Amino acid sequence: MSGMLAIYQKEVQTYFRSPIAYFVVAVFLLGTGYFFLYNVFMTGVGTMDETFQNMGILLLTLIPVITMRLFSGEYTGRTMELLMTLPLTARQIVLGKYLGAATILLLMTAATAINLIPLYLYGNPETKTILSGYIGFLLLGLACLAVGQLFSSLVQNQIIAALITVPVLLSFWFVGHLQSFQTDYILRGLFGYLSFAQHFGDFVRGLIRSEAVVFYLVVSAIALALNVSYLQWRR
Amino acid sequence: MIALESVSKRYGSKTIIHDLSFTVDKGEIVGFLGPNGAGKTTTMRMIAGYTTATSGRVTVAGFDMATQNEDAARKLGYLPEQPPLYDVLDVSAYLRFVAKAKGVPSREIPSELDRVISSCRLESVVRREIYKLSKGFRQRVGLAQALLGKPEVLLLDEPTAGLDPGQIQEAREVIRAFGENHAVLLSTHILPEVTLICRRVAIINQGRLLAIDSPSSLQKASEQANSVRLEVTAPAEPLREALLAVDGVRAAIVQSMPGSDSVQIVECQVDGQEGVEARIARAVAGRWDLHRLERQQPTLENIFLHYVGDTAQGKAA
Repeated sequence: MSGMLAIYQKEVQTYFRSPIAYFVVAVFLLGTGYFFLYNVFMTGVGTMDETFQNMGILLLTLIPVITMRLFSGEYTGRTMELLMTLPLTARQIVLGKYLGAATILLLMTAATAINLIPLYLYGNPETKTILSGYIGFLLLGLACLAVGQLFSSLVQNQIIAALITVPVLLSFWFVGHLQSFQTDYILRGLFGYLSFAQHFGDFVRGLIRSEAVVFYLVVSAIALALNVSYLQWRR
Repeated sequence: MIALESVSKRYGSKTIIHDLSFTVDKGEIVGFLGPNGAGKTTTMRMIAGYTTATSGRVTVAGFDMATQNEDAARKLGYLPEQPPLYDVLDVSAYLRFVAKAKGVPSREIPSELDRVISSCRLESVVRREIYKLSKGFRQRVGLAQALLGKPEVLLLDEPTAGLDPGQIQEAREVIRAFGENHAVLLSTHILPEVTLICRRVAIINQGRLLAIDSPSSLQKASEQANSVRLEVTAPAEPLREALLAVDGVRAAIVQSMPGSDSVQIVECQVDGQEGVEARIARAVAGRWDLHRLERQQPTLENIFLHYVGDTAQGKAA
């Protein structure tokens, strides 16, 4: 437990002592602010639905920036040798790093709450739908972080890690569109089930389905478990 | 404290370490010598638990590295060849991270940091980010990190690389003091360092252990390869013949001294017999002018080259 905490604190410190955290949060807020203004004030509809959808895609492109350094940075900085020889288990290392990245995600998400002020001042939004949207957003983010972290552990170079993560996440997002080209019932179901976007859409509409919650948690768990096994195998 | 029992390491079909066995006991500093690519770093990494041995057993403080990695890691301080530092953190944040990860209880962390900071002379850079540090300071932060948590076993991969002579002296003192009641394995290619602080020396080449003994016994063991050095005013060829006629002289290399045609410098390869110097002196002094005669103690360089050269020749043959 203390070992995981040590890794966690180190990760958070590292994020804030380099420009990454500030850059990611700033870009995300700028983008979200723009979408929010456009969706709410141009259409005059007082909901977050469209904004959440846009935030989802924006998140996919920013997640790799957060995760790319998690392991690749340790490889190139020659610090992996330290991590692997400290009295830490692979699980502690992986979870500590994951929670560190999740902290940045939480911060990004919390900062978007500023958009809710005008929404509540001038409109009459449904609080439950907004809450459900935020829960979905966090779950989506957690799944993407786990996938990004896994790819960061597989390659030495941070840029390559990011370049692999982006298309992988985007294909998980858009895989639902393949449904339209399938007549096979099973394939249609599979593509729909794998789609990050379709599960997210439920949350945005105010629907917290246990199937969707489990889906995101299982994706995260699989990616993290592969991450742990890879570290153990490397040794 | 450290024990290797017929340890081998293979990468694919390539064997990096062949059947390596040795021990390092408590209160002992063992020097680990070998040319580049001999397998020093790989061996260090296996002891540290960064890689696992393909076969054989590595134990640290009684814990098997293959199955009790975490227990062993608590007893271990490791400085890899390149100090593993996080550039964006400052020195104290970095050391605090390592202390926590090593499981030092939080109330003991401040005193533990003070201890390693003063023994590695880092007081002046405690608040500085690591990327701003000079190479010498980086190396010392790496050493400080290894000393955290009072490990029983210390593995140092070229700990004095990048330090200036004064700093080398200080680092040696730290290591020597630490070695008095801990086990230290220190790899280096600075040979005098080994004679200064190590009680025993292990020489490896091409992944095989060639010798492990105290520096003085290694010198004795290679005494046959000793040489006697002379300075004589004499014509070169008759001198050489006279020397080769002496019992116990196996070879003589005669060169004229730079700047003087008549004075010759001779390197005689002699065997281990007693009194060979006296016989050489008698043979030369009666006919020519003998200025100097000395038996050359084999330096660690010679011993090292002797062992390493042997394996290279063995391979060629």
